[in-house]
Amino acid sequence: MAINPLIRNFSIIAHIDHGKSTMADRFIQWCGGLSEREMEHQVLDSMDIERERGITIKAQSVTLNYPARDGRVYQLNFIDTPGHVDFAYEVSRSLEACEGALLVVDAAQGVEAQSVANCYTAIEQSLEVVPVLNKIDLPQAEPDKVKREIEEVIGIDASDAVAASAKNGIGIEDVLEQLVQLIPPPSGDELAPLQALIIDSWFDNYLGIVSLVRIKQGILKQKDKILIKSTGQQYGVDDLGIFSPKRESIGVLKAGEVGYVVAGIKDIHGAPVGDTLTHVKTANVAALPGFKKVKPQVYAGLFPINSDDYEDFRDALAKLGLNDASLFYEPESSDALGFGFRCGFLGMLHMEIIQERLEREYNLDLLTTAPTVIYELEMSNGSTIYVDNPSKLPSMGGVSVMREPIVEANILVPQEYVGNVISLCVEKRGSQKDMQFMATQVAINYELPMSEVVLNLFDRLKSVSRGYASLEYNFIRFQPASLVRLDILINSERVDALAVIMHKDNAASRGRLLCEKMKQLIPRQMFDVAIQAAIGGQIIARTTVKALRKNVTAKCYGGDVSRKKKLLAKQKEGKKRMKQVGRVDIPQDAFLAVLKFDH
Amino acid sequence: MPLPPLSLYVHLPWCVQKCPYCDFNSHTAPANLPEQQYVAALLRDLDAELPMVQGRSVGSVFLGGGTPSLFSVTAMANLLQGISRRIQLTTTVEITLEANPGAFEQARFAGYLEVGVNRFSLGIQSFQDKYLQALGRIHTAKQGHDAIVSLLQLGCERINLDIMYGLPGQTQQQSQEDLLQALTYGVQHISWYQLTLEPNTEFYLRPPSLPNEDMLADMQLEGQSLLTSANFQQYEVSAFAQTGAEARHNLNYWHFGDYLGIGAGAHGKISHNYYGQFQVQRRVKLRQPKAYMVAIDALSSAVTVTQEDLPLEFFINALRLYYGVDSQLFTQRTGLPIQSIATPLQKARQAGLMESNRLRATALGWRYLDDLLTYFQSTG
Repeated sequence: MAINPLIRNFSIIAHIDHGKSTMADRFIQWCGGLSEREMEHQVLDSMDIERERGITIKAQSVTLNYPARDGRVYQLNFIDTPGHVDFAYEVSRSLEACEGALLVVDAAQGVEAQSVANCYTAIEQSLEVVPVLNKIDLPQAEPDKVKREIEEVIGIDASDAVAASAKNGIGIEDVLEQLVQLIPPPSGDELAPLQALIIDSWFDNYLGIVSLVRIKQGILKQKDKILIKSTGQQYGVDDLGIFSPKRESIGVLKAGEVGYVVAGIKDIHGAPVGDTLTHVKTANVAALPGFKKVKPQVYAGLFPINSDDYEDFRDALAKLGLNDASLFYEPESSDALGFGFRCGFLGMLHMEIIQERLEREYNLDLLTTAPTVIYELEMSNGSTIYVDNPSKLPSMGGVSVMREPIVEANILVPQEYVGNVISLCVEKRGSQKDMQFMATQVAINYELPMSEVVLNLFDRLKSVSRGYASLEYNFIRFQPASLVRLDILINSERVDALAVIMHKDNAASRGRLLCEKMKQLIPRQMFDVAIQAAIGGQIIARTTVKALRKNVTAKCYGGDVSRKKKLLAKQKEGKKRMKQVGRVDIPQDAFLAVLKFDH
Repeated sequence: MPLPPLSLYVHLPWCVQKCPYCDFNSHTAPANLPEQQYVAALLRDLDAELPMVQGRSVGSVFLGGGTPSLFSVTAMANLLQGISRRIQLTTTVEITLEANPGAFEQARFAGYLEVGVNRFSLGIQSFQDKYLQALGRIHTAKQGHDAIVSLLQLGCERINLDIMYGLPGQTQQQSQEDLLQALTYGVQHISWYQLTLEPNTEFYLRPPSLPNEDMLADMQLEGQSLLTSANFQQYEVSAFAQTGAEARHNLNYWHFGDYLGIGAGAHGKISHNYYGQFQVQRRVKLRQPKAYMVAIDALSSAVTVTQEDLPLEFFINALRLYYGVDSQLFTQRTGLPIQSIATPLQKARQAGLMESNRLRATALGWRYLDDLLTYFQSTG
């Protein structure tokens, strides 16, 4: 039986502030998905952090009914995609559920690197890419130039791109019209055995695991007995339906449709993202291709400031892990910081978000050690090991080759900032592979050590280009490099949590800078604090934080102790952000100082 | 359990103008100071407090501010008379008045002495016009000098001079000069304290450039040895006195004694034996003078100090004393067994911050008193 020809499954590819969320909101409004009152600004970013930072982290979907000009009502399934470079892997998942994508480009700023990469992914997956120029009403808008750039950089025809302004509601209907005309309906047979792709799964306190699925073929109904292909586990479907964007139970999902499934699955590993779902009676149906497993790129130790919080911390990580399959963690113990977890993240933003969520949603005070990438070590005995923690670096005697991860970075930047971007890449030990001049921007291609990229390249790029440069990168290989571990000693004790792996040529000067930086960050205490930097056991720099001479409030107004208590409480609050290593109080900033000195 | 000695604090909230470093409850004085109305309000306030201190007598009265010397001798007479009619004052009662060294206050000194004030605390702050201006004081160095001399000529024996150090741009030598000048008069009590920037002050918003931490520590060491060589004992962090001249009112605070607080924004602390349960209550009055004067009930808040907070409150006061206090005083003043602080006490002693035989900071602990006090902060 043929599939419903009025279905359109699509994503929006857009840079963070090119107006994707606003565009999505306009669609919802146009199709009457929510009443005016329910239309809280930017409906789809549902986490507080997403809304505050104006970013999308998790894929979500919404089903809308669009009454088109041809008199027919189309079912539009919009699958949201994250826009930040850290979350690129989520994008390919979302695209897998679609037949087309809208490429939303800021008509004043032009194409951006991450969107280019996402467009290539979409084209590879045979999606129809429909370009849209947004923010057309800005005085700086240059629609013709930007159209030309889309054609040059991405290689798709942009001559018919709709000129729109999501903010002011211009051209919204035209975009929807193009969408239903250009994006093909899904194909697939409703009568064939069920194949449903799990696009995303998340944990809901009341329902257990909720999975977002795309039905490739067949029909899924409430109470059906289903089976997860990779695990062979069987479940009964308790509920299924669509997001409109409110969750709406509809009892049946047919081939070509996108919706949610609740089947009494207790944890995320029961419904792995990218897996195939089918009926128990058709257990032999082929599994769908699925997704590349995503690997963390940045590792850092997270430690509770108060060691009593360790159990709570472990529980909190387990809960976050339920919703974030990309979060990796394993127990770590540090001489200096006690028990904590070594966590792997997709990038620095991912790390910040996880730390923020742990602190905010689980009320933990955490200390993060300097993030690091993973290194490949070839040992004298022929084995290969991977090190994600500087303090675990084996002694150099047993290492024959040490390799660092290299990425290929694609940067798009307006011409006037090319010089800045190139000096930045040189500073970051990059080697240029290609450079091409496009209509409004320059495409620069570099190979860079991943350690230099993940830590702060994104922020640095933004700051040297007034926010215009965009970045997209992929790991390509491990490459031999002369690397050393830089240790920091506090009062002659090596602090494992302060160790960093870095390029040999930079180590001595960074050691000296780091000592000075530490001196500024470690508050004066009741005794002198000696800070030393060492490479391979050899001290290369030292400095001292002189003891505080006194710490006593001069005048105490005898009658009113409340002020004094407030002062002491503040002092205590400050200490909360510090970790005692030996007798020395070290603030959180000091653990991250190693990242900060090239600003 | 016997109740602690009782003092009385009276707050007189007006000043000619607010000093940029002051975070006390002070307000710019209106053209016609409502003396009578305010004194009536104070006595009404005291009346309301009396049931809580039945049968107890007052060992010291402190008239603080603001600038209490803005009040006329007549108003002060009415106030002191009103107080003594309501509550028993001990025969040796110490009655201190805070006064500014301005011209018209000096004319009143004799009158204040006559109506019962027997101790003066003069807000000298510095003997150098440059720093007085920097501090926003309205008096001059000469007026400071004259005020002391006139009090001495009137035969007043108990005088305290408030002197500050660490003033904007001050050198070590200049701070010593202020102390040397103070010592020339033969007064027996000096409150010598560091200028600090407190929240909700002009200086906090627009901080002046102050001497750095090391200079301040040097100033302090130098000043301490100067005062010691002049036979002054630093009996409390900021208070120096010759033998027998200690401020009894302040000593009562530092021994965690009781005090009634009357006046706008005044704080009081009163202990009770409540059905055999020892309790400490903190009482705060309405802050705004206008509201305070018309209020039927001047009380703004009355809170019983929790058992978790009592040790910290006790030590905030007791550890400021050079000799500290006897261990028994802890139980007498808080109603808690000494075992209740065994753990923090042991930790503080191990860290070398407290003496082993009494509740007293070591020399090290006294220098880092704010760090020492954190040992007694309740967890949470």
